[in-house]
Amino acid sequence: MKKYLIRRILQIFPTLFGVSLLSFSLLYLFPGDPAEFVAQIRYGVEPSPQVVEEVRRELGLDKPFLVNYFHWLSHVIRGDFGVSWTEGEPVSKLIMQRLPASAELFFTTFAISIAFAMILGIVSAVHKDRAIDHFCRIFSLLGISIPSFWLGLILIWIFSVRLHLLPAFGYDGLKHLILPVLTWSFSFMAIKTRFVRSCLLEALSQDYVIVAKAKGLKERVIVFRHALRNALIPIITYFSLSIHHLIIGSVMVEVVFSWPGLGSLLVESVFRRDYPVVQALVLISGVVFVFVNLIVDLLYVVIDPRVRFGD
Amino acid sequence: MLTRREFVKLVALGSATLLLGCIRNVKPVQTPAETATPTEYRTEFVLGYGRDHRLKGGKWGIGFFPKIHVLERLVEYDLKKDEFIPCLAKRWEVEKNGKIITFELNRGIKFSDGTELKADAVKFTVEWLANNHPLGQETFEGADVVDDYTVSIRYKDEGFFNLAKMAEFHMSIMSPKSVKPEGDPKGNFVWPIGSGCFKAVDYKEEQYAVYEPNPYWYDRFGLKPKFKRFVVKFIKDEDTRVMALKGGQVDAISDFIHGGSDYTPRNQLSVLRSMGFNVFKRNIPLTWIIAFNYRKEPFNDVKLRKAVDLAINRYEVVKIFDNQVLPANTLFIEDAPGVKEAKAQGVIYEFKPDEAKSIVEENGYEGLSVDMIVDKNQSDQILVAQLIQQKLADIGLKVKLEVLESGAYRQRRDAGEYDMRLYYIGGTDRRFYLRMFWRFYPGQKWSAYVSDRTGELCKKILKEFDEEKRKKYLVEFYKAIHDEHGVVPLYFDIMTAVTAKDVVADYYHMFHYPNGIPFGEPLFYYVGVRA
Repeated sequence: MKKYLIRRILQIFPTLFGVSLLSFSLLYLFPGDPAEFVAQIRYGVEPSPQVVEEVRRELGLDKPFLVNYFHWLSHVIRGDFGVSWTEGEPVSKLIMQRLPASAELFFTTFAISIAFAMILGIVSAVHKDRAIDHFCRIFSLLGISIPSFWLGLILIWIFSVRLHLLPAFGYDGLKHLILPVLTWSFSFMAIKTRFVRSCLLEALSQDYVIVAKAKGLKERVIVFRHALRNALIPIITYFSLSIHHLIIGSVMVEVVFSWPGLGSLLVESVFRRDYPVVQALVLISGVVFVFVNLIVDLLYVVIDPRVRFGD
Repeated sequence: MLTRREFVKLVALGSATLLLGCIRNVKPVQTPAETATPTEYRTEFVLGYGRDHRLKGGKWGIGFFPKIHVLERLVEYDLKKDEFIPCLAKRWEVEKNGKIITFELNRGIKFSDGTELKADAVKFTVEWLANNHPLGQETFEGADVVDDYTVSIRYKDEGFFNLAKMAEFHMSIMSPKSVKPEGDPKGNFVWPIGSGCFKAVDYKEEQYAVYEPNPYWYDRFGLKPKFKRFVVKFIKDEDTRVMALKGGQVDAISDFIHGGSDYTPRNQLSVLRSMGFNVFKRNIPLTWIIAFNYRKEPFNDVKLRKAVDLAINRYEVVKIFDNQVLPANTLFIEDAPGVKEAKAQGVIYEFKPDEAKSIVEENGYEGLSVDMIVDKNQSDQILVAQLIQQKLADIGLKVKLEVLESGAYRQRRDAGEYDMRLYYIGGTDRRFYLRMFWRFYPGQKWSAYVSDRTGELCKKILKEFDEEKRKKYLVEFYKAIHDEHGVVPLYFDIMTAVTAKDVVADYYHMFHYPNGIPFGEPLFYYVGVRA
């Protein structure tokens, strides 16, 4: 098990290196000359070649790629992502301004969706082909099919315009959180419900379940102690993959409900070609993803004895 | 006895209330008859707006809304008369053909912090803009204080355009206390302090901005504000903005006053009006056009541009906007200088599909495929582009429509990899000459069309102080653009504000300063919500 843990932890370093390299390369991969772009932002008019060269020297873009990369990396390691080209503010400040709203929306949605997806998925699998299963499947299908922005507008119309129960927009406490979470959770939980259902159905068709039934174990024990536990590994893996939604997944919901999150910051920055912000958000997204995967891999050890005993 | 349907409705409503656990204090709707004292107003006015006000500054400074409501300019522009009108400045004198303009300021004007506006504030603003602002950098050389109330501004170039620029949003005058270190022309912008109707008091990026009436401004015009706080909530999505108004969470919604984007959906205006909301609408000299990549084939051929021009039925275009906007049969609205005169000389854009088809056939363009790029973020423009595609198909041209993400759109545009695209010329009234420069002056980045003839005329227009001569050049310019089919005007944009039933507002105050100066942008100094 120790070997597994050490190997898994060591694996993240090349991955992180790759993520950082890719994030930094964005500046060079996007079409156009970044120096010219910054010059245009600063001076507002078509910059002369001399001005472009000055900006290029100032930004260090005349130096080799690797020199710039390691310079950037040395700052990033210290939490310095540079200054936004369009806002003139430190990138870390811009991100920290938006992070609380994004985290609040994501983690609330995540918690609610997972809870409901687990409940509906289990109910659906246990009562396969019965009315409740059909209901859950239709619910999932709707969740997958209905676009978030449309659902958001419908919910606003019902709860804000008609019933005057909830605010239509904004970021200001629990009441403002309800509609965005409801909107996002609907699609978020839909796919997961189907996934839980299919994983559990597969587990329930295994020989050990038949043996457990033959032994006369109660259905609750068979489902929760035997089948669900075995089905958990793909479920946890799949759920963990949704962590990238923290940054990019909520764009539509953020736009519809005027939620000041990281998703809209990323989209705005891409449109404005604000590369330092884009680089930072892509890097953070990648790093979070890598670490969540590490945590999930470590969780396998707890859940699955085969991993623990090196099977 | 309840019917089954009523029972289900009741249970659903009750469950939703219990589940959500919070009930909003429903605002009672008052009809005028129920209002005991119609002159009593709520302390707060809430506006829903599509863009952040950037009160902490940015590349182009603070947002356009605070530039209009917090700051003021030395002069304002009357589009109908093509005249620059005194605002902060009482009068001005032009020297060296506009290389120097000396402004004499009105006495007794105060910034919202109580300090008097004097020549040093104008000098500071000019120098700060020259150091920090793209437009200031290309415009100003410097400024000299003549006396407390007189300041001479030195410009980089000669010409009438220098005066025209002084009515522009970006040239708004701010207090030297707006930056740190205080009064430093190279200082960092901190907070806008101006002499306009509002003072900014609170701001949270991408969420809200809070203003209070500037008492000195209201005193100056002998007015009393009808609210104590003016709150602007930033609601990006246009449909959410409309629903926030319908749901009573905002008292009004308004278009982004830059024009052309983040506006109230045009097809919602008549719906809102029929629901009892007040819709204020003003035509502005902002025209949406088809811009050609006219420097390369096939649109370097004026005959093909003419065919496209004649193939467009502008009355069908405006149907996309529920007929809320006007079809562009001239280059700009008739209020714009020289347009009526040009129209009288036959400069009119017409729909002649048969002639368009003949041109295409005679010149061997039948079946020609052209690329048209559209920005995905501008959903209305996608519909307009689809209509153009259909109209050009009728005359034998195939339009390959590419709806691109904004970033990709800009890249294609900047690289010149397109044949046609939708674009706009003009702006709100104050931008008429600035956009003339940006769109038609030779060598500009954001150009729409330039030829030797139009370029020369544009130069003359922006140099000429004499109104009559300028008008003559404008008429010639419109004629030249028309002859060369440089651009194809489609429709004239509008500026709107929609207010709730209980809001006191009127068209005159919405689009005029208290002293009668016309504004192209909606103003909110006069609004109030009945208590």
